[in-house]
Amino acid sequence: MTSTGAATEPSERAVRWSYMDHWRSAGPAGPIDQWHDRESMSTFLKQIKAVGFDAIDTFDFRFWQILGDYGSVAAYQDFVQQHGLERIVNTFHAADYDLRRYAPHVPETHATILEDFRVTMDRWSGIQLDNIIVMPATLYYDMEPVTADKIKTTAELWNRVGEITLQWGVQLTCHHEFFCGIQSRSDLDLFYASTDPRYVNLFVDTAQHCIASVDPVDFYRAYADRVTGFHFKDTHHVDRSGDHRHRPDAEIMAPTTAKWFYEMGTDEGLVDFEAMMRAIRDQQYRGWITVEHDKANKLGGDYAESTAISRWYADNVLAGIYR
Amino acid sequence: MTIRWGYSLDQWKPQFDDFVRRRDHERALKTVAVAGFAGIQVSSGTGRWEPTGNPAQIAANFGSVHGLSEVVRACALDGLAAFAVDLGAAYHEDLQGTADPRKAADHDTLLARAVWFADTMAGTGCRILAVRPAPSGAAGAADDDGIASMVAGWNAVGAATAERGVRTVIRFDFLTSLRLNDGWRRLTDAVDPAVVGIAINTGELAAAGTDPFAELSRLAARVEHVVLSNALCEDDSAEFTRPGAEFSVRRSGGQRRVPRWFGELEQPGLVDAEQVVRALVDLDYDGWVIVDTAPSPHPATSALLSGYHVQRVLDPLTRRTT
Repeated sequence: MTSTGAATEPSERAVRWSYMDHWRSAGPAGPIDQWHDRESMSTFLKQIKAVGFDAIDTFDFRFWQILGDYGSVAAYQDFVQQHGLERIVNTFHAADYDLRRYAPHVPETHATILEDFRVTMDRWSGIQLDNIIVMPATLYYDMEPVTADKIKTTAELWNRVGEITLQWGVQLTCHHEFFCGIQSRSDLDLFYASTDPRYVNLFVDTAQHCIASVDPVDFYRAYADRVTGFHFKDTHHVDRSGDHRHRPDAEIMAPTTAKWFYEMGTDEGLVDFEAMMRAIRDQQYRGWITVEHDKANKLGGDYAESTAISRWYADNVLAGIYR
Repeated sequence: MTIRWGYSLDQWKPQFDDFVRRRDHERALKTVAVAGFAGIQVSSGTGRWEPTGNPAQIAANFGSVHGLSEVVRACALDGLAAFAVDLGAAYHEDLQGTADPRKAADHDTLLARAVWFADTMAGTGCRILAVRPAPSGAAGAADDDGIASMVAGWNAVGAATAERGVRTVIRFDFLTSLRLNDGWRRLTDAVDPAVVGIAINTGELAAAGTDPFAELSRLAARVEHVVLSNALCEDDSAEFTRPGAEFSVRRSGGQRRVPRWFGELEQPGLVDAEQVVRALVDLDYDGWVIVDTAPSPHPATSALLSGYHVQRVLDPLTRRTT
């Protein structure tokens, strides 16, 4: 640089960029994540800011670590802001699905789930989130056979959850992992036909849909008016052999694929991000795009490098299409 | 006064068989660019696993230095800022062995290599050839004749590269034999400023027990290239005089097994980067400041933390109102 601060002001941009806070770095005794202590968090946030992200997303299961290290969610957001980042935009509600007590297609578990969201929204009420993101179904093998009735039961639950989150001014939005029970295009269509657009939104994860053989661009165009955010991440593999059903886990333990997710900007990437950006431009989307590359450290990867490469791609390729 | 911020690629190449493939280069360049830097400094090397190490390898891998520059620019950087070279090392490409700047008989080899680099750099916008002026400490101290020979040799090199639009600057490193018998000061006092400039490397000076701020003040307007690095530890037991110190000391940490001689600028260390930048502003310095964190166990993290520190702390210091 010969100068700084020449970038377009955030308020002038239709799109602002957030980073989903997966991270690992090298500690003296092996890998650590940024939640180990405030210094680790500061080091993480500096790197996110350095490459030009505007904000971060997080997981709400971090609540107890936040209380312990920062005192409150608001105080943690203050810490984020001290590093030049705007705020925390979204939180991901990574539920521990269990057919006995927490499964969206099992009506007997709904009361527990609804109470979980009342508690969660209250815990995070110290800051203003845009979205709370959920995987709206259990693991695929816990839901199969995936039937219309199960999908409609699931939809009924999320309509009620969305009504709750809106009471805190937060949108409920659904993120369909390739290994979750609602991931094929036909099941996605039925799910969105069965949910109330006032309460249930869509969060497009480009890699997850691509792995599940759902064209994320086409899917986005079909539901653009319900989309409240994106995970821009890539994959090098499509699930062609039923890995999404693999027990006990498909995300890290699938026999065919040791690493499903990659950062934007690799030659082998299967997601057409330029087409995605053109679609977003055509829809005149205004809001946040979140960059994600969970498990980036697998197979010798490096979070800092993957984050730099993806942000470089957003800045040097995608911003030329829409910003 | 204009400071342009660049980054050294050295940290991406811990061993000779690392950082060889184009993909590695492009990912490093993009990382440097998105961290906010405008240019890069590359170092010399020899052999087919050194794609950016010398003109022959650059031609073999990129067609020409212009081809390398295109790759750099395609990664959203302005270009090459500087070549840091050791013209005294052995090069397979010219079938010549090591050359000692203290020996007049070796000067033709040094001169030919300098011209080799300068001819390649000409027209690329990269005009700084930062040469290592003396061998490592195991070679022993230079006597008066040795200093005089070095002065003659580097003056000749400087004059030859100047004809090609390339400025020769001599650079200090903490393993240099110039630490002995006050060699660095004697050499910098004696070279001709008309043809030979000075490169300050803050961390290398500090690791050698020399105050970089004082050195910057002493050399002042003669400083034409700056490498801003932070030393975490000082070699205060003459480890630089050990044979093979480039490997046994710089890479392996020496007898104390120092984990890192050099760290990020923000780390508690021996260099006050803010003080250095303020001094450069006071000197009305006009040129590149190359941030260098090599060797680093985590190159991308080092680059991003450096970018943050430059953007948020150091670069604002260059914008003071008068």
